[in-house]
Formats: sequence, structure tokens, C-alpha cells
Amino acid sequence: METLEKMTPKICLGGITKEYIAPRTGQRTLAIADVSLDVFQGEFLCIVGPSGCGKSTILNMIAGLARPSRGELVMDGKPIRDPGAERGVVFQDYALFPWKTVRENIEFGPRYRTAGPLSASERDRIVRHYIDLVSLTGAENKYPHELSGGMRQRCAFARALANEPEVLLMDEPFAALDAQTRLILQEELLRIWGEELPRAARKTVVFITHGIDEAVYLADRVAVMSNNPGHIKTIMTVDLPRPRRESLRATAEFQKLADAIWQLIRHEAYEATIDRH
Amino acid sequence: MSLHLRLRPFILPLLLLALWQIAAMAYAQTSRMPVPGDVLTMGWTLVSSGELPLALLQSLKRVLLGFACAASLALVVGTAMAAFEPIGRNLDPIVESFRPIAPIALLPLAILWFGTGTPAAAFIVGYAAFFPMLVNTIHGVRSIDQGVIRAARTLGVSRFTILRTVVLPGALPNLFVGARLALGVAWTSIIAAELAVGAKAGGGGSGGIGQMMFVFYAYSVDLSGIIVCMIGVGLVALIIDRGVRALEFWMLPWKR
Amino acid sequence: MAAQQDNGLTVQPARTAAQPGAATPGWPTSADQRIWTALGAVFIYLRSMAVFLVIWHLGSRWVGNAILLPSPIDSAEALVELFADGEIFDNVTASLSRLGVSFGLAIVLGVSLGFAMGMNRTIYAMVDPMVELLRPISGIAWIPLGMFILGVGEALPTAIMFYGAFFPIVINTVVGVQAVNPGLVQAARVLGVSQRAIVRHVIWPAALPNILVGARLGAGAGWMAMVAAELIGAPSGLGFAIEWYRELLMTPKVLAFVFIIGLLGYLLDRLLRGLQRRLTPWAQAGGGLT
Repeated sequence: METLEKMTPKICLGGITKEYIAPRTGQRTLAIADVSLDVFQGEFLCIVGPSGCGKSTILNMIAGLARPSRGELVMDGKPIRDPGAERGVVFQDYALFPWKTVRENIEFGPRYRTAGPLSASERDRIVRHYIDLVSLTGAENKYPHELSGGMRQRCAFARALANEPEVLLMDEPFAALDAQTRLILQEELLRIWGEELPRAARKTVVFITHGIDEAVYLADRVAVMSNNPGHIKTIMTVDLPRPRRESLRATAEFQKLADAIWQLIRHEAYEATIDRH
Repeated sequence: MSLHLRLRPFILPLLLLALWQIAAMAYAQTSRMPVPGDVLTMGWTLVSSGELPLALLQSLKRVLLGFACAASLALVVGTAMAAFEPIGRNLDPIVESFRPIAPIALLPLAILWFGTGTPAAAFIVGYAAFFPMLVNTIHGVRSIDQGVIRAARTLGVSRFTILRTVVLPGALPNLFVGARLALGVAWTSIIAAELAVGAKAGGGGSGGIGQMMFVFYAYSVDLSGIIVCMIGVGLVALIIDRGVRALEFWMLPWKR
Repeated sequence: MAAQQDNGLTVQPARTAAQPGAATPGWPTSADQRIWTALGAVFIYLRSMAVFLVIWHLGSRWVGNAILLPSPIDSAEALVELFADGEIFDNVTASLSRLGVSFGLAIVLGVSLGFAMGMNRTIYAMVDPMVELLRPISGIAWIPLGMFILGVGEALPTAIMFYGAFFPIVINTVVGVQAVNPGLVQAARVLGVSQRAIVRHVIWPAALPNILVGARLGAGAGWMAMVAAELIGAPSGLGFAIEWYRELLMTPKVLAFVFIIGLLGYLLDRLLRGLQRRLTPWAQAGGGLT
């Protein structure tokens, strides 16, 4: 992990602040204050924090769907302003196109993107590859409403991957799934991401979650966020060996890391359960 | 909001009004096209003489009469059809066969049966209002959460009380949708009925706003009169719609 | 705006729910079972209609006046006669050709305006007040003015039907375009897709169920307005025919034409529903928009 600090970051957030101004009253709310964070090539970064701490806002800004009020946001030395095919997003509610089949959903990016759309035969190859990769073979011609939650998640994942982005942004992708499906998909995510590959060949992942276990199990580093206004409290390095397997969760190191993170946010998480109503 | 944004909604209507005025002045010699000014004067005359409010009130009375009959019948039939499977199954073909018939198509029959007065108009209105009300009653009663009914039954409440305290309030939002649709169609068909009666029976007998429009068309050939009537028709339609909405807002506090 | 939205979206499921014949097949049914269910529905339909016809017949016997209430047999004979001498086809063709022109025009213009209003806030702010001013004035209220401007003839029923169909289509299109899930637009944007592709492949299909609801409502309202316009101010068409035979006191023929008007209204709605099923298969999943 020491090597990380010597590399140039893939994505660089420098002093990001996001303010919302209420349209009628003109009242300002500070959602995120002075967030600085470097994300390196090939790393798996998780962001955890209590509800409403601005995790998703940060992800949306990296995706180019929102812009920071202040601060700089750079990827590979170029400022991020708009969404682009090099940054794929998996949304919490999947946002699959209901009128397109699994295949058409996955094909959407390669077919209609402005930057280098693919020919029909190339698309066919890519779509087939990713359908197989996420084990949706046989469901290609189904509509999203015919799929189970887990299959929708797989489809959304394949749609983002098929566009072959350099960075994958995931916004609580497993939040809507039941506990068993979540465990299975976590392991599969690591497999598809390429735990066995050298770092340079892996995709860079920014993964938002409120599950501490999930974060520790998946991540190379965990950024712990805090509320009012949203800021990064600590960044923890998860030095657990890869490839990781289910059994890892039972180890003392795993538990120690998870507990350390929980201690950092439990007070605020508790407050959030009272304050919110 | 800036002044510019606030004025935006008025631009197009005012522009069209100005165009109308200019066109009317340009063709003043060759046509009977009224200018906005004429319409205003005419409107003032008709309102101050009480003719227009009276005609609108007459039509509205018929609408409410027809609607009241249709709605009570639809409530009973609809609840029965939704709550009792055999009734629903057997009446459904009849309902579905009559629903597509445009109410106006029955006007000639209504005239044959009831003459050209209020009963014929109320019949058409009732026919028009019946189906939206019925369909929404059925839908409302059917869409009630079965869990809530089961909960009421485990609390030891009688069937009739469940109908009154659970089913009816549960269906109320749909009943309001039905009432708004029904009154809308009813108001449209009363105009048609009165117009047609006026056109065919030569002006006599029926009264109401549709009749008044027809008289302006056929006898006085007064276009500004017709336009004033149209504005009146639109206003009443708006008032009916907003009225039902207000009632809905007031009666459904849990839906706000 | 919200008024028509309710109309569009709430009437809809009510209609499907009103057909116990199409009960939910909770269990996997074999082809045999499905045929039996269909036959059962047909049987119930025939039985109900038979009861109705018998009551009608007894009623006409009791009234004893063929002008006031002719028997179903007389009416059926009148219908056959109208078919035999081809008179019915002339009037049906007249009405349907008007319907085709006005409804086609209403869809093209209504959907275009609806998209412009739904996607551009300035256009919406400028045009919406106009729509809200004109909408409460029903198509039928335009008939006298229309007769004055267009005269008694072909143009009047066409124009009135266009007016009647136009507003439901515009309003439901606007609602459909504005209600497109922003998450889907974002999903397309992060895939690096062009604005044109977003309109074509995200906004258009997302708004389509609402547009089709608007088309069905518009067809219903327009059909009614057109029959009224024909009844008052046209030299041909179905509305004209019922009024013509009423004046001649030939009630069986009046009833025959009423039947045809109902049948065509029904077929029009069926056609549009079939279109809904074909064009928006994804909206069948119990989303309320069938």
C-alpha cells in the first residue's frame, strides 16, 4: 500500500464544497464542506457514512451529474464538468430502461454514445461477453420488470461495464437486495473487478455504501464521512489479503477494522435515527 | 422571480387578443367578426340583465339533477358489482356494451320519450355521468387493501360497519375522480343537448345556455353573444372542477 | 394540469379492473383451461345480453308503440336493411374519414406541442395559460361559432373533433414528458449518450404510455364531440343519420345507428388499447398504466 502515495492520483478532489440554495427563500445549506480525496488507478475505494452525509453527492460530482460550488475536481489532469463514457455509474435503484430488454440495456452505451459508438458486430461481441460475465445468459430478451432484484443489479452492472469505462462509480448498488443476494453479489463483484489482476489492469472503483462490513470486505481503502456538513473524517487502509473469500469476515482483523469504523460513526448514526423526524 | 418571468404567461394570450382586434378591424367592412371590445360590451349587457347567469343556472340545475340520479345509482350498482362477484360478472357485459355509446347519440331517443324540456336534458346528462361514476366506484371498491379489511374483521367488526367505515372511505378518492369526470362530461353533454334541441325544435322550450347560444346563432346572428356564452361555459366548467377538488381536499385530509 | 393527469391515469386501470372475465391467472393455466375460461366469458356475455334483450322485448310489448320503443326484432331488421341497401356504409365512411383526418392531425400537433412544452420551460410558461384558458370550453361549445365560420358541412365536425381530441393529447404528453424519471436520463447521460439519443430512446418511450392514454381519452372525447357536431350541423355522417330518422319517426333505424355509433366507439377504443399493448409492453407490469 505504501506505493499508493507515490503514484499520481486517477481522480483528485481538492477542497470540494457543495452548497444548495433554496429556490424561494434563498437560504443556503452546506451539504459538503472542503472534501479532499485522491483516488488511485486500480484501487477499490469505499465511502461510508451516516445517511445524509453527502456520500451520493460526491459520487454524482465525480460522475459529472452535479458540480461543486467550490473546489477542484480532476480526472487524469482534466477537470470533470459533464458525464462521460469513461466514468460508468451503477445507480442505487439501477435506473434500467423499462422499455429495453436486458440486451438492449447493456447495448445502450456502446450503441448510442457520442464518443466512438461501436459497429453492430462489435457490440454483439461485447454484449455477449458481459452478459456471460454477470451470468445473465438466457435472460437477454427479458424486460427489467421480469427480473429479480439480483438480476436487475447484474444487468445494471453489465450496462456500466459494457461501456468499458476506466472508472466505475457505484452508489449503494446492493442496498435494495436481501442479505443473501448481497453476499453473493459482493463476492462476484470482486471476481469481475479482477482481484487476481495486477493493479494497473483493474478498474478504479468508487463505491458508496452504508454497510461497514461491505466496505471492509470490498475496499482497499475506506473513507469515513461525517455529517453537518458532510466531510471526510478519516481514511482507513484495509490491509487484508486478496483474493478475499467469505471466510475473511470471521477473522479478528476484519472484525477489528469494522469495529473501528463503527466507533467513528455510531454516535452520528444514532443521532440520525432520532433527529430525522 | 424577475418581472420578465412573471409576465411570461400573459404574452401569448395578449398577443392573440391583439391579433384578433387587428384582424377584426381590417375586415370590419366585409364580415361580422366581433372585436374584443364588442364582446366585453355584450358580456356586460348579458350579465347585468341577468340573462346569462339565469341561463347558466338553468343548465347547471339540470346537470346537478342528472348527476345526482346517476351518481346514486352508480354508487349502489358499482358497490354491488365490485363486492359481489356474480353480480359484477353478469352486469359487466351490459355495462361494457352501453359505455361506448356517445350520450349525444341518445338525444333523438330522449326527445322522443321526454320531449324537449328538462327531463330529456337530465336523461342525457344522467347517461353521460353514470359510466365514469360507475367505473370509478367499481375500481375504488376493488382496489381497497384486503389487509385492511382483514384487520377490521379480526377486530370483530360487522360486515356492514366495514362497508361504512373501511370500504367507503377507502373508495372515496376514486369516487371523487369519478365525480369530477362525470360532472365534466355532464356539463359538456348538457350544452350539446340544449344546442341540438334548439337546432331541431326551433328554439322553443328548453332554455339553458346551449339554447341561448343557438338563439344567438340562428336568430340574432350575434357572434359576440356566442363568444360571451362560450366564456360562460368555460367558467362554469372551471368552477365545477375546482369545486369538486376543493371538496376532495376538505374531505380527504389523509390524502393531502 | 393535474386534472387531466388524474383523468388519464386513474380512469385507466378502472377500465381493466371492471372486467372480471379477464381475471388474473394466478396459476399457470394450460391452453385447454384458457379456452374454457374464454368460452365461459362468452357464455356469460351471451346470457346477460339475452336477458337484456328479453326485458327490452317485453318492455316494447308493454309500451305497444313502435315509434316510442320498437322491439329488438324491428331494430335488428332495420339494421339489416341499412346494411343491405348500403346506406350505413355511406354514413360510416363519412364519419370515419373525418375521424381519420382530425384524429391524425390532433395526434401529430398535440404530441409535438406536448413535447415542446414538456421539455422547454419557457414554452411551457407561455403556452400553458392558453391551454388552461381554452380547455374548459368543450368542443361542443364551439359548434355554434364553428357553424358560423365554417358553415354546415364537412369542415365543422372535423374541426370540432380535432379540438376535442387535441387537449387530452397535449396535456397527457406534457405530463408524460415531465414525469420521465430523471434517474433514467442521468443513466443515459453517464453512458455518454447524445441529447438526440436521449430524446429518442429515453424520453419518448418513457412518455409513450401517457401519450397513448391521452390518445384514448382524446379519441373518446373527440368521437362524442363529432357525433354532436354531425347531429347539429352536417349533411352526412352517423350523427346526421340518427337525427334524420328521428324526424321521420323511424325509431328502429335510429336505434340501428345508435348501435353502430356504440360499436365504432368500442372498436376505436379496442384498437387504441391493442396499440398500447403492442407499443408499450413494458408498461404492462402492473404499473397502473396499461
